[in-house]
Parts: sequence; structure tokens; C-alpha cells
Amino acid sequence: MITRRQFGRVAGGALAALASRRPVGAAAPLDIEMRGTARGERVWFAPLAIAVAPGAMLRFVNHDNGNSHTATTYHPAIFDRPQRIPSGAAPWDSDFLLPGASFEVTLSVPGVYDYYCIPHEHAGMVGRIVVGRPGDPGWEGPAGDAGDLPEAALNGFPTVAEILAKGRIIPEDLA
Amino acid sequence: MFHRMIIAALGATLFMAAPASAHDEEALRNAPPAAPYAKVSDLVALPDFLPGLGMLYVDPATLPAGPFLGYDRDGKLAATIYMTPIEALESGTSFDDLGVGSHNVSAVDIYYNAGHPGVDKPHAHVVLLHGEDARARLAE
Repeated sequence: MITRRQFGRVAGGALAALASRRPVGAAAPLDIEMRGTARGERVWFAPLAIAVAPGAMLRFVNHDNGNSHTATTYHPAIFDRPQRIPSGAAPWDSDFLLPGASFEVTLSVPGVYDYYCIPHEHAGMVGRIVVGRPGDPGWEGPAGDAGDLPEAALNGFPTVAEILAKGRIIPEDLA
Repeated sequence: MFHRMIIAALGATLFMAAPASAHDEEALRNAPPAAPYAKVSDLVALPDFLPGLGMLYVDPATLPAGPFLGYDRDGKLAATIYMTPIEALESGTSFDDLGVGSHNVSAVDIYYNAGHPGVDKPHAHVVLLHGEDARARLAE
């Protein structure tokens, strides 16, 4: 896994991430936007779920002018959270991204990756990335244990079947 | 977690000059207010200016409710904001006798907020606007 941050501000305490420049000619990353209403009543990832091929690069971009967000994997190595990414994958934490800042990650291990926004998990700001398809070598499906996740977060994950069928999911009322 | 971060970051400042009361209008009229108030964006990862709220200052001892003092881009006090977690209200917690940055209140806005660094659980924003033009001064 390769991660990269742009214009982010380090708030401290983040998991160290490997930094790398994108190779010339490499495919453009797929954007996952961090969004929110003007007064912060609602916050969300757009799309909230996406299916990608192994090796895809994703870029989290904060488009919310009045808030900061993170994209943080559920993993014991990061705030001792339940593991909700494939066993062979490295966890990542974007740390807080101010408006306009972005963070890139390349995912190679097939399976289901669940992540959340640290200050907005209780508001249900979570996302799911499906890398590859069931049956791919090393594939690991979604976590079966709810762990310590708040109900609002657990309710936010679309099913793998739905994600694979649609490719990407944006809630209708937020599209 | 974030409350503790703020309090730890400002531990030293709590013992500096005598604090300006949240009712001391003259001392709070212009940014920056004296300690123990501190700029919120220096404590947590938030923009310096939040559209609708302005440049925020808070005495961390008053978290999570505040008052947060919202200044416009010219450094003039435009709003006093309180942030009250929904969960705390539901469990019976009350927030009483909170200070105000100015006694001139032209309007009050109350709305839900999903959370942000510093107050990371869903809460209510109670915004006391100071002056007819305060909303416009805080807009952008």
C-alpha cells in the first residue's frame, strides 16, 4: 500500500504513512469526496462505497469548507479499533484534512475495506471500498463482528453485492 | 478524546493572566480575547474561519458547551456560540449559567451539527448573533 497526503495539516498522533510520488503516466486516482452541509447537519463520503480493481489509487479530498475530515481504516493498529480490512492489507489514516487537502492511497489486496471519519463516525460518516471480487486470490469479505462500532456507522455500509452491482454508491438524497 | 487534547494543549495557559469573564463585553469585543481563551484552530484541525461562525475562541475549561466566541474577519465579535451534545441533553445533563460575549443579541439560531474536531459527537449549535449585520459578517 502506498499513501500520500497533499496540503494536509498533521494534528499529531497519526500512524506513520509511506509517502511516494505518483509515477509519471500513472492512471489518475479515483476521488472520494468528503462533503458536508453548510451548517454541518450532515457529513458524508461521496461516493460512500466504490468497487475498484486491485492496484487502484484512491484520493480522499475535503470539499467541506466548514469542517475537517479523516479517512481512517478500522484496524487495531489505529486507535485499537476492530479490523475491517483484509488481513494482508496495511491500515491507513489520512489524519485531519482541512478544506482543499487530500490524501491518496493505493489498494492492492483484494477484499473489503471499511473506513470512517474520526470526528464524524457517530454521525455515520463511514465508507466502504471493495477491491477485486469474491474468489480473487487472498480475497477477504466484510467483517462479521460489529465490534465497538456505533449503530450509525454500522448502518452506513452498503452490501458487497450492491456495491459490485452498481460500481459506486451515492445516497439518493445526497447525489 | 478531543476534549482532553484541547485541555492538555492549553494546560499552561490556564494559569496565565486573570481571565476575562464571558460577561466582560469590553475585553471580548475584539480578537484575540485574553487567556484562558484560545483560538480553536490552533487547538484542533479546523479552518481559521468557519463560514457562519467566524474565527472561534474558547476557554477549554468550558468545553464542550462553551461559550465559543465568533469573530468576523476584522476581528470584531459577532457571535457567541454554545455546543451542547445531544447525548448529554438526552441523559439529563443541563448547561446552565453560561457566559455571553456581548449583551447585544439581535437574533438566535439553533441547529443540529453532526460533529467536528473538538466536539466530535452530534450536538446542537446555539448561536447568539451580536448585531443586525453579524450574520453577514460571519458568512464568508
